Amino acid sequence: MPKLSRRGFLRSAGAAAAAVHVIPLHQALADLQTSPQHQPPNWVQNGKIRFRQDGIPKVTGNKVFATDIRAHDMPGWPDEQSHALIVRADRTDRRFQGVNLALLPDDLAPDAFVDDAQVQQDGLRMIEEDFYGRLFLPTDQAPSYLGQPVAVLIYHGYERFRRANRVLQFNPDALRWGDEVTPRDLVPYGGARFVRIGGPTPDASDRFSPLKDSLIFADFDQDESPWPAPDPEGEAGGRGMAYAEELRSELSDPPDGWAVYNGRYTSQYVDPAALEPDNGNAWYDADTGALHVVVGTQSPYTNADHIEQMVSASRFSLTDLRLHPGYTVGYGQKEHHVLPYYVAVAALYGGGRPVRLALDRYSHFQGALKRHPFDTRMTLAVDRETGLFQSIAADLRGNGGGVMNFSPSVGQVAASALQGIHYFPKSDLAVQVDASRAPTAGSMRGYGTLQSMVAFELLVDEVATDLGIDPIELRRRNLLHSGMKNTQGAIPAGTMRAGELLDAAEADPLWTQHAARKAEFEAENPGYRYGIGVSCVQKDYGTGAEAALVQLEITPDGELHMRHVASEIGCGSTTAQMLMTERHLGRYADRVDFAVIDWPSLPLNSNNEPYTMSQEDQDAAAQDPHWVPRITSPRSASNSAYYFSHATNEAARLLFELGLWQAALSIWQEGIGGGQAGPLVIRRDQAEWRDGHLVASGLQPLPFADLARRAHERGLITGVTVHTFNRWAWATAEFEVDGTPVSGAIDALSVKWGSGAGADKKVRMSDAGYSFQPRVTVNYPPTQRNNASVVYYAPVATIVELSVNTGSGEVQILSHKSWMECGNMIVPELVSGQLQGGIAMGIGHALYEDLPLYEAGPGNGTWNFNRYRLPRASDVAVWSQHGEVIAPLSSTDPPKGIAEVVMIPVVAAICNAVHDAIGVRFHETPLTPERIEEALS
Amino acid sequence: MSDRMLTISMEINGTPTDPVDLPEDLMLLEYLQEYLNLTGTRYGCGQGVCRACAVIHDAPDGPKVVPACITGVAWANGRSFRTVEGHATRDDQGAITQLSAIQQAFLDHFSFQCSYCTPGFVASATALVERLETAPVARGDVEEVVLKALNGNICRCTGYVRYLEAARDVILSTPGLTTEEVAISDTAT
Repeated sequence: MPKLSRRGFLRSAGAAAAAVHVIPLHQALADLQTSPQHQPPNWVQNGKIRFRQDGIPKVTGNKVFATDIRAHDMPGWPDEQSHALIVRADRTDRRFQGVNLALLPDDLAPDAFVDDAQVQQDGLRMIEEDFYGRLFLPTDQAPSYLGQPVAVLIYHGYERFRRANRVLQFNPDALRWGDEVTPRDLVPYGGARFVRIGGPTPDASDRFSPLKDSLIFADFDQDESPWPAPDPEGEAGGRGMAYAEELRSELSDPPDGWAVYNGRYTSQYVDPAALEPDNGNAWYDADTGALHVVVGTQSPYTNADHIEQMVSASRFSLTDLRLHPGYTVGYGQKEHHVLPYYVAVAALYGGGRPVRLALDRYSHFQGALKRHPFDTRMTLAVDRETGLFQSIAADLRGNGGGVMNFSPSVGQVAASALQGIHYFPKSDLAVQVDASRAPTAGSMRGYGTLQSMVAFELLVDEVATDLGIDPIELRRRNLLHSGMKNTQGAIPAGTMRAGELLDAAEADPLWTQHAARKAEFEAENPGYRYGIGVSCVQKDYGTGAEAALVQLEITPDGELHMRHVASEIGCGSTTAQMLMTERHLGRYADRVDFAVIDWPSLPLNSNNEPYTMSQEDQDAAAQDPHWVPRITSPRSASNSAYYFSHATNEAARLLFELGLWQAALSIWQEGIGGGQAGPLVIRRDQAEWRDGHLVASGLQPLPFADLARRAHERGLITGVTVHTFNRWAWATAEFEVDGTPVSGAIDALSVKWGSGAGADKKVRMSDAGYSFQPRVTVNYPPTQRNNASVVYYAPVATIVELSVNTGSGEVQILSHKSWMECGNMIVPELVSGQLQGGIAMGIGHALYEDLPLYEAGPGNGTWNFNRYRLPRASDVAVWSQHGEVIAPLSSTDPPKGIAEVVMIPVVAAICNAVHDAIGVRFHETPLTPERIEEALS
Repeated sequence: MSDRMLTISMEINGTPTDPVDLPEDLMLLEYLQEYLNLTGTRYGCGQGVCRACAVIHDAPDGPKVVPACITGVAWANGRSFRTVEGHATRDDQGAITQLSAIQQAFLDHFSFQCSYCTPGFVASATALVERLETAPVARGDVEEVVLKALNGNICRCTGYVRYLEAARDVILSTPGLTTEEVAISDTAT
């Protein structure tokens, strides 16, 4: 099986055949108004920001989403807007014979009709077909999945478009079907196995682990078992399987003193229901070969790269691609999703007019990425006396739907996350993700971990009950402490603080007064049962190949300008990155460019194989100072707070050390006898910023503007561009800048000298005004570290208090309380909002959201919010919820990514609370009234 | 589906629209977005379930919140509506000079992330505030009143808390929206 992971495909920061530009939507619109993107007015008060940087346009209904854009909004586009509708298969049991255009009256004949025959004729093919699927289903073939695109119809005018849509949508005769077909045998998308057999103690060397030895991959091409044959003396795969066999054999015939528990959990098929449906608007100017694409996406760089490749290989000329990602939202639903490619294709057939392809909710349900349902089976051995976990075997089976997308890596992440906050001396975690005819599942918030961690958290509760140990205490006894190894054999980063969250939960009145509250509630509310449940998990952030680029530059008049790869998907990452400069530069960024893809100031290249390249190849490639393992990452995997902030922080640190600190010294040391600094000892580590002034050792406070001016006058360094890379550890490098050794947790650097620089320096600033600094040495994390799978964790604990109506089976959340550890918060209000929002989404998963997989499911094109219930304010205990973030250990604790973990423990806590209320354990979500009623009856 | 056309005009954000022939079954949301280029009112479901499309209908007896995605232009004809673009005070060039109290509160409370649902929440919360101007409620009932008024709006990002807290704070801090009487629920023990 290919070792797929979340990835970006952009191969080089400037090597595409056509000129490629990713331009944030707000910038494109700002071009209309010729206004630069500065800090919002009155943004900062008493040193703190008052609101999100994108808050005012969002709260006033400005055009910020791609879906808001029409042709006349875009500078240089024709005014006439065309509209496209995408037609999809709603069955898979017969051969497709074409779209029944005869249903449309003459005046509704499409102005352009794009199907498989058309794109084949024009040489258009989906890039990475194995990953995204074929563009359109060919006639005379049966669809491979429900919702598979068969054609795009384009109309030059809104009224005809909507009339045609009304004719075709929900019309059982819209597609013509031929012979019945026999369902095909489907090959699973992937399977992997994490086997770890620890040494005699947790800190002893492992006998076998993925990090020390290897992950084990399934091979579904053979008829027998997909796993390697056990072989204690063989290759890593065979040895790992021998250990796995031994582990499972022991579980089936356990030693005295072990209690062995079997657990299971089946998670449902979910649409994350991003409120902005998938959409885009694009214009192809055949005269110039320029393609302009406005799109809602979490992966703008990948989209740009693939559209460029797709169109360049076709009959359509492409000289210039301009991709405008709007502010968007996805929860993973717009990460490597397929719609941007259909938007681009539609534009090619627009006859010179911009074409808008915006899905309605039915079509979004039918075609947008879903969360994988998983069936998880676990066998856990526990020492009866101590309650300590001894061994675990787990088999996870996911359903990836019709196209592979990220299914293999979702499975791997699910398996590697199952342990949550716990330590296992030995473990065998096997996962397989199947192909099916359901609409495709992809990179949803949690990325498989919601499914696997909830499974284990339910089992922990069962074990606690059986052993008569308090559920919080059982978790505490089995904590993965600092320095211990995870199920991949890797030692997680930093201090493991889940225990502190358990302590807080255990001391909370919800827990300590449980019995009294239950008795009181049930006495006051006949017909209702009261329950509380707890869960605590920790979730990774990042992908194991996190790369970022940041440029920071000070102007002679004292402004700080930033260019950044970060784009906004709602979480506030653009706001946060503007603030990250303060620590080193005493100032938030004044002007910013986000979602930047063109980096002429730091010319880099990449083979973009960070997960699969060999150590030997990496060592050889690293000799080229322009080479990096990956150019940049998509906005996903909770990666902004830690990884993007690291890049910003390193850029700010270097700009300070190489520029502003030198400027300060030049001012303080000015004059006879070394100036005011002469009588003092000055060290760099004494410097700090107070009220926008640099202070150190009692020297005259210097405002940022004075330092900027001096840096420019003296030709000191006034701009830096850095690239960073993390493979579960940071790449580090050393450079020599102006003869001075410079080191950092970066792998590429360029600098810019101020306006007063001499000719010798100016001639070196040949990369868009910057001078590339070849690294002297570089230390990339070894490729073997890919097998660590996870080392950065953020924990959350949640207690839920609820009632169950024994008559109707309805669950009502009465209150909930969560504790989180996330390092130093960049914007506490955004962190709090993430926690509150994640919990609401988790409540939806636990109680309401569910889709049938196949013919009755979203692939049939009839699903909408009328029967896909989402949690509302009244469902989430909006006035009786609490969230606490525990204090960081130091002022230098890095911020952690928490966008995904926040929604997970509440799911298990609800299930455990329902058990507390009615004494029934559920192994399947959502806990609908029907399921509870059935259990109670 | 009908091919019949009607001549439609209405008042949007205080400005009468020019009469225009529109399909009889066109929805107000489509009219706003495709004919007036007012795209702040968002499509979420097309069923009136999620209220991303909520706008204020300024009826003779007071403001009402209506889902624009299922409100036909035939019904809207001759009526008056406020969309999210019409809440803030703007200068002659259309630049914002002052946000409405609800908009400012949503901003100050970090109520939204992606903001797709924000225009709908602005409409629902604003209509509530305006309703309370003529029918104030006891301070102790404000949270319940806010929950009821905003429960129709779906948010997927921030879990409602910060929207509802912002609306509550506006109501509690604005003279005339609450009575000083102690709510019955507060006296219950």
